Amino acid sequence: MELNRRKFLKIGTAAGGAAACSLSSPALARDEREPDPNWYGMLNDSTRCIGCKACQVACKKENKLPAESTIGDEKAFGQAIYDSPRELSEKTFTLIKMHQDEQTKETTFVKQQCMHCVDPACQSACIVGALKKQPDGSVKYDAGMCMGCRYCMVACPFSIPQFEWHKAIPSIKKCTLCSETRLSKGQPTACSSACPAGAITFGKREDLIKLARKRIEAEPERYLDHIYGEKEVGGTGVFYLTKPNVAFAGLGLQDFEYKAVSGLTESIQHRIFQYFIPPIAVYSILGGIMAYNQRRKKAAGKLGGDDEY
Amino acid sequence: MSIKAAPLQQKFITPNFWVLIFFMVSGAGFAYFRFFEGFGSVTNMSKAYPFGLWIAFDVACGVALAAGGFTTAAIVEIFGREKYHALVRPAILTAFIGYFLVGLAVFFDLGKYYNIWHALIYWNGTSVLFEVAWCVMLYLTVLGIENIPNVVEQFSGRVNLPGPLSGFNRLGNWILSKADWFTKKTMAFFVIAGVVLSFGHQSSLGTMMLIAPYKLHDLWYTPMSPLLFLTSAVSVGPSMVIFEGTLAAKFFGRKPETELLGSFAKYIPLFLGTYLLLRFLDLAYRGVLAQAFDGSVAGYSFLLEIALFVIPYFALKSKNVRQSGTKLFLCALSVICAVVLNRFNVFLIGMDMGSNWNYFPSVGEFAVTFAFLALGVMMYKIAVNYLPILEEEH
Repeated sequence: MELNRRKFLKIGTAAGGAAACSLSSPALARDEREPDPNWYGMLNDSTRCIGCKACQVACKKENKLPAESTIGDEKAFGQAIYDSPRELSEKTFTLIKMHQDEQTKETTFVKQQCMHCVDPACQSACIVGALKKQPDGSVKYDAGMCMGCRYCMVACPFSIPQFEWHKAIPSIKKCTLCSETRLSKGQPTACSSACPAGAITFGKREDLIKLARKRIEAEPERYLDHIYGEKEVGGTGVFYLTKPNVAFAGLGLQDFEYKAVSGLTESIQHRIFQYFIPPIAVYSILGGIMAYNQRRKKAAGKLGGDDEY
Repeated sequence: MSIKAAPLQQKFITPNFWVLIFFMVSGAGFAYFRFFEGFGSVTNMSKAYPFGLWIAFDVACGVALAAGGFTTAAIVEIFGREKYHALVRPAILTAFIGYFLVGLAVFFDLGKYYNIWHALIYWNGTSVLFEVAWCVMLYLTVLGIENIPNVVEQFSGRVNLPGPLSGFNRLGNWILSKADWFTKKTMAFFVIAGVVLSFGHQSSLGTMMLIAPYKLHDLWYTPMSPLLFLTSAVSVGPSMVIFEGTLAAKFFGRKPETELLGSFAKYIPLFLGTYLLLRFLDLAYRGVLAQAFDGSVAGYSFLLEIALFVIPYFALKSKNVRQSGTKLFLCALSVICAVVLNRFNVFLIGMDMGSNWNYFPSVGEFAVTFAFLALGVMMYKIAVNYLPILEEEH
């Protein structure tokens, strides 16, 4: 339905004026996109993570990414910091971060990577459509199409896409869900294969949600009764579980609403350009005013001369 | 129609000419590093602030400040206020230069600038940027066409190319006469098209940051943003005409047109009043005004922005202010600063990326921006000197 509507919008845009005649359908409010149960994704169980960073190493190896040095950071920060590197970057697609609850001193390790959203903001924002949700569930980036405008970085609520700031010809870099390197060969993601603690589970979206629910039911004292990513920002492809006394917000997973962030911009755009009616209406009104004024002036004998412009 | 526009034909190489050259050369020096060593070597942009000065000022403010073109064209050509005819040509010229610079700035800001044409072939209808790109491209073309009569008027039937190129004189004259025929037939179409296209992308720039509801500050995150961007652009249009007109008179040693500009300034309170009404209704409806007084940087920035909008609104209602060249200029400047600060607030200052992140433009970013401004002034200087843009003095 969604794709059909988009395709229709494209045709409508191309047909321009012709499409303006088809007034039959009312303005469509933006509908929520339904997730495909066969999309692949991951379940990150923060209660199981031991913070060994094996996933980080596996990711670097899989994507042939260079190491990042954090030597000297201890001096700069005044204390040793567990997170290494500090943030995701064009060289680091996944990262284990340590969060300590201020009151309970409870320590939690949490993995960060592209969430492979159901309705990705980056896909909605990309001017050329270089970021696209794939049938396997990954959100794929096409460096050949990309113009490098970085609007995807602004749009992403998780601030995942990274830019190669130090290259003459920069691209966007982010987790690929190992779509081409592993999923296409029937293998699970590199990070999930490397995890020795069973904290990262690879699988189909539907199965992962079932598994997460089963874990919560089996050990209600171990888990907070919420699967982060099931509904947040319209649903993601990567889910999180947390301890009952550690809020997701404390793990850097913000308390997002259950709707895609691109809903407002898309409905504004669609309303303004619905079959090109508003632009054509404005054009006609202005044309009418102009014609009226010119006739009035002609009647008064004031129009003329060659420098109308 | 009584007075005709004419080229200034003044001495071109003045001390100011060298000042402009200096800015352009220094910008070009930094541009070398941006294109061959990456953004990191010249800019302070980061993962948290992927948009920097070049987008916030050169593009977002550039588009808004070039609104003088479509507002003046609409007032004079569509609403038939012939009185302000003298203001149309300079306004259309500066709009063309402004949009040309916007395009150039986008080219500088794109990581894969050589893919800029992809916007023509790869369409993503959900992207706000897609619409902005198309409107800006089309509008720049329209502005180019709107400027053709200036060239035709100056050179038609008088093409005189130097030396061996003189064989092309006839061809040149033929092209100009065809261009003249074409523009005379179609100008009304393009004038209205320019206004409609401006409505489209001026408002869409306001939609752009609405894709980041969890990053943009509540004071600016509103579904009304497109309408507010459009109405503020319409308000700043006449202000830019006054600003540029006053400066042009000063630098080219002409008599300032205070009377005409002061009369034109009557439109500002009208447009600005509409804008402020919408703005305050929106703030009140969403109940976020209290956040302006929480002592944060965003709060102070909001208050300053509003003050810069409100003061000229009241001041320009007074005839006394409109008839004084200096006061008029300061009011226009205030509106311009307000719109610039508003765009900065939406694109940079209001973007809360957490306490670990901040952004301030680097020397290189400023240098490139100043180079663009210098190039714009240079283009204006060339155009008014050799083309009939400004009307002869009364």
